[in-house]
Amino acid sequence: MRQLIASGDHKAALEQAKDLHKVSGTLASEALLVDAYAERIRALLRRNLTIEAQSLLDMVRQRYPASRVRLAELTPRVEAKPLSLDDLVRPLNDPDLAAEQRTAIDRRLRQEVWDLKALAHCDALALDHELRKAAAALERALVAVTSGPVTDDALALPEVSRRSPLAPWKLLARAIASFYRRDDDACRRYLEAIDSESAPTRLVPAIKAMLADDAHAPLTPAAAALGARITSASTLRRALEALDEAFASASKNRILKAIRPAVDQCQQVSPEQLDSLRQHVSVRCALAVIDSQRVVGPLGGPSRHDATFLRLFARGLEETRNPDQVVLACRLWEDFRHAAVREGWFADNGPEAAALALHMADLLNQLPNDLLRDLQWSARAGTNEGGDKLTYLFQEELYRRACVLDPHPESFSQWMEWAARQPGNGAERVATAWHKIRPRDLDPILRLMNAAEARGALPTALGYLGKAERIDSLHLQVRGARLRLLAGNALRHLQQKKPALATEDLAQLSTLPDAQQGDRPAFLAALRLVSSAARGESERVAALRADVEQLLGSGPAAALLVSAVAAAAKQRAIARLGSVEDESERRSLPSAVARVAALAADMSLKLEIPASWMVEVAKQFPECRQTLDAAHLRRLGELAVWAGMDDLAYAISTAGLERGETTAARFLLLRANATIKSWERHIVCAKAAAVLGREQQDTALVDEAAALVRGFFEFEHVSLTLEQARDVLNQEKAAREPSTKGRPGPTYAALLANTCQCVSCRQARGEADEPFDDLDVDDDEDVDDDDDSGFGIPPGMPPELVEMFAAEIEKAVRRGESPEEFMARLSTLPPRRRRRKRRR
Amino acid sequence: MDPFQVLGIAQDATDEQIRAAYLLRVREHPPDRAPEQFETIRDAYEAVRDPRRRLRHRLFAIDHGAPLASLFAPEAHPRRFVGPDPWLDVLKGK
Repeated sequence: MRQLIASGDHKAALEQAKDLHKVSGTLASEALLVDAYAERIRALLRRNLTIEAQSLLDMVRQRYPASRVRLAELTPRVEAKPLSLDDLVRPLNDPDLAAEQRTAIDRRLRQEVWDLKALAHCDALALDHELRKAAAALERALVAVTSGPVTDDALALPEVSRRSPLAPWKLLARAIASFYRRDDDACRRYLEAIDSESAPTRLVPAIKAMLADDAHAPLTPAAAALGARITSASTLRRALEALDEAFASASKNRILKAIRPAVDQCQQVSPEQLDSLRQHVSVRCALAVIDSQRVVGPLGGPSRHDATFLRLFARGLEETRNPDQVVLACRLWEDFRHAAVREGWFADNGPEAAALALHMADLLNQLPNDLLRDLQWSARAGTNEGGDKLTYLFQEELYRRACVLDPHPESFSQWMEWAARQPGNGAERVATAWHKIRPRDLDPILRLMNAAEARGALPTALGYLGKAERIDSLHLQVRGARLRLLAGNALRHLQQKKPALATEDLAQLSTLPDAQQGDRPAFLAALRLVSSAARGESERVAALRADVEQLLGSGPAAALLVSAVAAAAKQRAIARLGSVEDESERRSLPSAVARVAALAADMSLKLEIPASWMVEVAKQFPECRQTLDAAHLRRLGELAVWAGMDDLAYAISTAGLERGETTAARFLLLRANATIKSWERHIVCAKAAAVLGREQQDTALVDEAAALVRGFFEFEHVSLTLEQARDVLNQEKAAREPSTKGRPGPTYAALLANTCQCVSCRQARGEADEPFDDLDVDDDEDVDDDDDSGFGIPPGMPPELVEMFAAEIEKAVRRGESPEEFMARLSTLPPRRRRRKRRR
Repeated sequence: MDPFQVLGIAQDATDEQIRAAYLLRVREHPPDRAPEQFETIRDAYEAVRDPRRRLRHRLFAIDHGAPLASLFAPEAHPRRFVGPDPWLDVLKGK
């Protein structure tokens, strides 16, 4: 090959070099091939075929990047001669033009040619050359799409094939046409498809800027000028953006200055939108607390207060989350309803009005109860307006209106949920109304059933249960209810000294599959025992007692269960419990008590454990803590709390916290109960348990934790992140023993001190918005100024008295009295009004 | 984003129209080829498929803080035909 090169037969040398490199593919073969190409390029230059030489050089440099050094001496010789369009395309007339050279020329055409007119009139190509024809067609198309609307036919451009170097121009023409048709999605698609190295791609940023996809992208002066001419860079848009920025700055003067240009531009460009703009600006100014009189001037007149305005204003106000504004928003939603009906948006008795009523009720639910009650009272007192005029302030009225207009389960459900949170039996009333209108809905039936059961009306409850079973017998609540209600009914019959009826109930109970699960057979046996005792069947009583003992595998457990059932049936004679004498029975007492406690909870049976038994349980617990499962530990813990045995509750919580993550939140709540003497720890543990419970979607636990801290206003601001809650859990796990003077437990001062309660921080912590807490105290005008003195312990009180004081408060709390009520009772003054009372 | 706009339907569209628009959009943007657009379409459909949710959306989905320019229909921002020269100036790289 070297010889061929030396002899001037470059073409043959090149062919052989290609073959060799194809076979071997080594660095040496590549070097040889590049040399062959170099000789070929030199030969072309010698024949003055610069274009061909340049195309070939470009191709070799691109394909073999390592060749750049070897070809360096050729580069200036080739590039020194500038290429005219004629020179570039002339080789294309040669039918034998090598494919590589054709590709190279096509690439340059694609990348560099921007003047389609010149190409269309290029004399170096034959008149009927396809490139000239394609360029001419594209030029016509570009003139057309930039001068007026065009049809799709005008953009078919069959002269431009997909393989043509001018194909990107076809996409550009279609992108521009789509842009003018406002088919922006199509425009974007065409722009995306344009080869990023082709000449038309220079227009892509300009078009994207006009589409406002990339409004702030740096543009060339020509591109900026194009945008300005086509979209006017919209002076209106600029004026509106300036006004938006002024609102964002919250500077009143800046806002007022920016209003007039926007309004003027709007009047010129889009006068039909002026009213809408005025309304939006008015609302934003009102939200920015700018005097409406100062706004009217720049606006060129007042805004129209129609349904659109009222809706906009109401929405803006409710999003401030300020209680006063939210009340005003409710009022405006009511005004909106009237205006919308007047303007024909919707009918007064349609689903829209119902949705509005629910929305207003939902807004009122966000307000502190005291504030709302005050507003309701003063609204009623300050006006003679009755009925509908003040409905917007009363959830009950709003829910009723919604359910009347749109008796949908969702509406009733919201009403019932609200009513359940109010004192009294409102939820039952709502359920009755719901059931009357929609007898096939299960929710109200279950509510009515539970309410009847709670007040001891078991036959009524069983009646509702029958209805519920006909609707959905597989429902979890329905399945469990029959056993519980029948058992309750049997006990009631025994209380009423009607053993025959109780026997019938027992017969029904025995047929239930649920009655055969777990320890329930023992409960049934105990019930039979009490029933037999009521009939004086002493032999059968003895046999049944043995049955119960056998089923539970423990004498004390059997005695405890029989005692609980007998107490529930008011059979005091057999309800008495003796002491546990046997040593082995004493050792197993925690397990026996826990088992019966779980069964009693399952059957809604009240369990009273003698103090001596609990003392023995506490004594034996350390030895058997490992043998109890988590459910039994939990029940035992609840008994310990009920009995006021904090140390036992603490020990049980320690054992429970070792049982793994699933039940950790539950035992953290028990720890909260066990540390009630240490208020801070008590609160933090309860709040951490609530956070962990929420994470596990255990709503019952969250509710219990919330109930535990309700009324502790001093700690209302405390809220924990999940991470903090886990940290509390770990600290409590490590604190295996109750704290003493010499062994202080975990301290949570940092958690109690720095918890920001602004809405964004609460949202960042993933908490529900409770945005009004910071306003509560201010709103409570009758709360004394010295309200921050904890529970009113007088300053300077000796420490030992403080301790006694704290113990008394604790006792009061256990009795269900709030610390305030306790203080008030001590001082013989009436209790101060609080927003919420602590209930246990 | 406004679900009605995403689906290309009027605010008073019927259930059938909504479903047809949804299916059409999904065909245009199938989940395997355009997962993000499909998500947007799916969310929009979820927001309006239930008549009650649709009604609530119509009543309450107004953004008083949206950019003021969004109040104006595209016609308020006209796109003028200016002939080929300003376009060619950009291509020339001026």
